[in-house]
Amino acid sequence: MSDLLDLPWTVARDQVSPREYVDACLRAIEEHDEKVHAFLHVVSGAAGSQPAEGRLPVAIKDNIVATGMPTTCGSQILRDFVSPYDATAVTRLRAARASIVGKTNLDEFAMGSSTEHSAFGPARNPWDLSRVCGGSSGGSAAAVASRMVPAALGSETGGSVRQPAALCGVVGLKPTYGRVSRWGLVAFASSLDQIGVVTKTVRDCAEVFQIIAGHDPLDSTSSTQPAGDYTADLGAGVKGLRFGIVREAVGQLGGEVRVNFDAAVDVLRRGGAVVEEASIPTIGYAIAIYYIVANAEASANLSRFDGVRYGHRSERARTLDEVYFDSRGEGFGAEVKRRIMLGTFALSSGYYDAYYGRAQRVRAKLRHEFAESFRSFDYLLTPTTPEPAFHLGAKTEDPLSMYLSDVFTAPANLVGIPAIAVPSGFSAEGLPLSLQIMGPHFGERALFRAADFFENETGYWKRRPQL
Amino acid sequence: MKIDRDEARRIADLAHLEFDDAGLDRMAAEMTKILTYIDQLREVNVEELEDRDATATPMRADEPRPSIDRELAARNAPAWRDGLFVVPKVIGGE
Repeated sequence: MSDLLDLPWTVARDQVSPREYVDACLRAIEEHDEKVHAFLHVVSGAAGSQPAEGRLPVAIKDNIVATGMPTTCGSQILRDFVSPYDATAVTRLRAARASIVGKTNLDEFAMGSSTEHSAFGPARNPWDLSRVCGGSSGGSAAAVASRMVPAALGSETGGSVRQPAALCGVVGLKPTYGRVSRWGLVAFASSLDQIGVVTKTVRDCAEVFQIIAGHDPLDSTSSTQPAGDYTADLGAGVKGLRFGIVREAVGQLGGEVRVNFDAAVDVLRRGGAVVEEASIPTIGYAIAIYYIVANAEASANLSRFDGVRYGHRSERARTLDEVYFDSRGEGFGAEVKRRIMLGTFALSSGYYDAYYGRAQRVRAKLRHEFAESFRSFDYLLTPTTPEPAFHLGAKTEDPLSMYLSDVFTAPANLVGIPAIAVPSGFSAEGLPLSLQIMGPHFGERALFRAADFFENETGYWKRRPQL
Repeated sequence: MKIDRDEARRIADLAHLEFDDAGLDRMAAEMTKILTYIDQLREVNVEELEDRDATATPMRADEPRPSIDRELAARNAPAWRDGLFVVPKVIGGE
């Protein structure tokens, strides 16, 4: 029934029983995941917990908790952790009769752009198994692209849903900060983190997002503004809508990413959209801001992993200090330590104002520039990533070059706005390319409208990788 | 910004992370490279800019509410006895 998994969820769900749908997913995982390694945990019949009711078979990133399932965050420090509770997004999925079929691979604690920082080995790109699937929600993107599940949840801090979605040729949504509850999402950088959605089509994305969006009293940063009707404008086209091309982001781009981007813009123009140049002068500083703000928050959030209440405790620790130092030293991988170190530095006495304070001020400037731009434009456009999927190992020795993978995605997190990655074609080597559409706060409904138009005009989602 | 081994050690102590000398040297070199990139933020004029979002996170009422059952918490604890987390002796230990 691989044909079933080629269909959008919103079509397939009406053609089979929930049981058949879930079984088809489990068979596809069995068939493909040995090569892709998108999953860290798959629900099995033997465990007695195989879902029977699911109308929506869904995978969730392994930093989102679900009762009775492991949540490793891709880290040795949580390798034996089993969650005693559900994340709010999971509670909402269950209420909508979704079946969680597994937990997906990720960079350790969502820190990375290739899933190579997973303590349990990388996930691979289904379009070319020698290349990365992006990250940190690489397992979620690879699982959907491989047609193992119709939908997956990921999490975003600087592009961790959109960037892997782009590299795997699927749709990825980063919602407005505060639109989806963070309760049960293991905290990385609390002012940036947001649960996002990966699907094959824009309609599927809108419908899954509809399930998880909304206020949650358990997350005081979740918005009390009522959720919208996210499918209401699908099919409405883009005639008369105003799109801005971010000059500072796109200006220096060359090669096939630029050619592809220009072609994508032409698709919108032909639909009657008004496309002009926009300016966000500070956007080039986004990665520098991001790696101070995100790491500062991470260094505080990850202090909870101390070997006392849960997670790994070092066997050789004899004193309380050794419990802390040795458990963290053994449990965290190199990238997580690097980020904790950078964040601790940025918050340390003598450097706080020069680094953290300054980064927050430049972030405020960026926020102001985006707000100004959205007075003239309904949407802002960039490619989702500066290049298609790179080879495994190509950037692991150079952290900074890995960080720059998020150059187009991190701004939306810093500013708190929603953004969607939608497939925009393929490189000469057959690797997926992606268009990013950003909108103003709580503008998801309009994002789906534009992305849906683009998808209908181009239809790139229909092509599947050959595994 | 140049980070040397001693500075890396100071940060590692604050962060409760254990490194050997070679690990500290490697970390110092990587931090130096990344912070040098981040130092471009010095170019931006940030006078008159606030360092925090104007919309503060709303506070909820500070009222007790049900929490995770102790027995469930115990299942993930590295060491647990009589309803409590167990750690090495804090005072007068080795």
